[in-house]
Amino acid sequence: MRKQFIITTMLVMGLLTLQAGGYQVRLQSNRSTGMGLTGTALQMGATSMFYNPGALAMMQTKTDFALGASGIISRISFQKFESDHIAETDNSMSTPFYFYGAGKINEKWSVGLAVYTPYGSSSKWEDNWAGRLLIQNISLQAIYFQPTVAYKISDKLGIGAGLVYATGKVELQKGLNYGADSYVKLEGSTSNIGFNAGVYYNASEKLSLGLNYRSEIMMEITGGDATFNVPIAVGANIPNENKFDAALPMPANLDFGVSYQATEKLLLSAEINYVMWSTYKELEFKFEEKGELLNSKNQRDYKDTFIPRIGAEYVYSDLLTFRIGGYYDPSPTNEKYFTPETVSLNNLAFTLGLSITPSEKLSIDLSYLQINGLQATKTYEPDQFGGTYKSAAYIPGIGVSYRF
Amino acid sequence: MKLRILFVLVAAATMWACQPEINEFEPTKGNADFSVYMSAGNSLTAGYAGGALYRSGQENSYTAILAKQFEAVGRQGAFKIPYINSEDGVGNHGASLRTKLVMGFSTDCLGNTSLAPVPANPNATQQELAILLGTSVAAEGPFHNIGVPGAKVTHLLAPGYASLNPFYARFASDASNAVIDEIGVVQPTFFTLWIGNNDVLTYALAGGAADEITAVETFAASMEAVIGTFKTTATAGAIANIPDITDLPYFTTVPYNPIVLQDQALVDQLNTGYAQYNAAMEQFGLPHRISFKLGANPMVIQDPTIPTPPGYEMLRIRQINEAELVLLSIPQDSLKCGYWGSMKPVPGQFIITHDEKSEIDAAIVAYNQIIETAAQNHDLALVDMNELLNQGSTTGIKMDGVLFTTEFVTGNAFSTDGVHLTPQGNALAANTFIDAINKKYNARVPKVSVTDYEAVRLP
Repeated sequence: MRKQFIITTMLVMGLLTLQAGGYQVRLQSNRSTGMGLTGTALQMGATSMFYNPGALAMMQTKTDFALGASGIISRISFQKFESDHIAETDNSMSTPFYFYGAGKINEKWSVGLAVYTPYGSSSKWEDNWAGRLLIQNISLQAIYFQPTVAYKISDKLGIGAGLVYATGKVELQKGLNYGADSYVKLEGSTSNIGFNAGVYYNASEKLSLGLNYRSEIMMEITGGDATFNVPIAVGANIPNENKFDAALPMPANLDFGVSYQATEKLLLSAEINYVMWSTYKELEFKFEEKGELLNSKNQRDYKDTFIPRIGAEYVYSDLLTFRIGGYYDPSPTNEKYFTPETVSLNNLAFTLGLSITPSEKLSIDLSYLQINGLQATKTYEPDQFGGTYKSAAYIPGIGVSYRF
Repeated sequence: MKLRILFVLVAAATMWACQPEINEFEPTKGNADFSVYMSAGNSLTAGYAGGALYRSGQENSYTAILAKQFEAVGRQGAFKIPYINSEDGVGNHGASLRTKLVMGFSTDCLGNTSLAPVPANPNATQQELAILLGTSVAAEGPFHNIGVPGAKVTHLLAPGYASLNPFYARFASDASNAVIDEIGVVQPTFFTLWIGNNDVLTYALAGGAADEITAVETFAASMEAVIGTFKTTATAGAIANIPDITDLPYFTTVPYNPIVLQDQALVDQLNTGYAQYNAAMEQFGLPHRISFKLGANPMVIQDPTIPTPPGYEMLRIRQINEAELVLLSIPQDSLKCGYWGSMKPVPGQFIITHDEKSEIDAAIVAYNQIIETAAQNHDLALVDMNELLNQGSTTGIKMDGVLFTTEFVTGNAFSTDGVHLTPQGNALAANTFIDAINKKYNARVPKVSVTDYEAVRLP
């Protein structure tokens, strides 16, 4: 009952956002967030189901629950090329969330369910901004449900895998050149499946290694709703109500992490995420009616990225644990096809974290992530729209975990 | 819920979370002094559009846009435009006047209703329109935009031009003035000049049947005089060249072969009808033949240059060829229902023949050479509007997601008259001026966003 209530609450609250590295959001644990969003080589109990299901096999307690969320306050500024035109996004706070529940069946097997929001993006640009024909506002949301099983091969080696059921939703609106109040709005939702598998290895008392792979999930929208607000005169060519098909990939990730217990109190963690963004080649829209006029293929040609991350955790007392970290998330976008729909700059981020552990069973995890999108001048060549972008995201988060 | 409240608190605590600041563009005047800007030219400069001069058209002229952009680099005071006090406006329509053309639905002789340019106020009387045009606003001057619809470069120098052109009369500071006499009153430090289009366009708009192309020597001397007048006070300026006007939608929208025949009997009837003509041409040793077939056929036009012997002037007709141009002003109902182009030859005033086009092209080449030389000699920015229109008519021009082409109405650049610019087209022209000015004077005048301006408004 309680669990159900929690999940429902989270779903109502939820729905995420962020412009970090394409449209990927990695806020799946506040402990991890505090440590530069590392986690592949960390034993994080139920939370490991996202970062590395292999580490779930190493669960210390019989059961473990964790839930949490973050509030993303994101800001993007834009100055048009050779112009004093400045535009900003007005993004309402979005809240990616996670829930994990896992239990040990026996010494060897653990099972659990993870619910999290690994992809999303939302931006609302000022009305009548210079790029309104490219995008006015957009929101992408994906929620993943992942039943997971892990097997402890030995005290040193664990493997695990989960089946991912992903649901996604997209809504975007952009202006049309038929006057200030002309626009097209596209809304659609879809679901698909994928998997998440990992290996966790305790190389020594102090050193742990983790390898994790999360498969690509293609979000294919079929029969989404397209609404065109256009003058009557073009109604014969552009019907007001239409259906569209589109596909957006949630790219695969290959993560490799190392953690090192430097002292009894200090844990260091580093990892590399290889994000296979090159799968995002184009964004194609196909319309049921008047497709010959309305269909569009929009090149994106993203490239794969490597994200290096470091983090540290210091156990100050039984009650308090501090964390710090940082990472560099390079933009996957192509020089020629940088669009304001997902402003993805080279991001430099730092993180802070704090856990309060009133009892062995309960901990409250706080985190703070600040992402600085480094200023860059970019163009979307097909539309000859360019300028200088700069972004920042301020993301406080909180989570609780309960184990027994 | 508690969680949510906590979020709001944490969020509030991070409200210092500020908007990232960008300042990549510092407007600078470079080597130019923009403090008093003045603009001369013809209807394009005046903000004439949709076949009329009207208030918002004037507000959105490329000149008015430039004046606004120059504020960032030191332009002072009001930029005075001789506004006409009407949104429907007034413009020439042959010998009469009418309001601007807006897109509306009109029903043709076949009973088909389609989207077409229609007068904004079809009920406006000639008298009302004449009063509107005849009302002087000179008392509100002196004006910074002295663009005069219909003006040729030679006209700018003509004393008493107000008596010939009501669009100048309505703001002339003195009836005996030449247009360039307005310059000394304002004493500009910076000017733009885009003139010369009418020196060929007036001829072209009449289908080569009236008016004449200004002689090259006259053009050169007049241009020199106008620039010289500006240069008495202005230290910097920009001069635009003349686009190949035959690429304008006015000349490219109506096809040369709109005579579509679907009935073999009619084809035979026409061919029988022209048999005598063909026989006569053969007898005269002239190459012209007229023949029709099923499908699309070139229209039959009048061509007074055909050297038929005296007494056979009525045979000075022929079928138009693909390279020749049909004017947008051709009465569509006459084509559709009046047998124009098939049984009745289309009057020459609606056609630009191959020879006329060659004359126009040659004049533009010569004028542009003069303009380029003048820009060099007077150290002015040269604005290559010819290249801009060339791009528009070939590849199209993308800017901020807008595709500008020379397509009528749908090309975004040209208004409902097929010659003058939309506000969005004016924004494109203003950016082209700014590019040239920035380059010439090492200035940084901010460009405009074309999406801030409208294309052709559709019902």
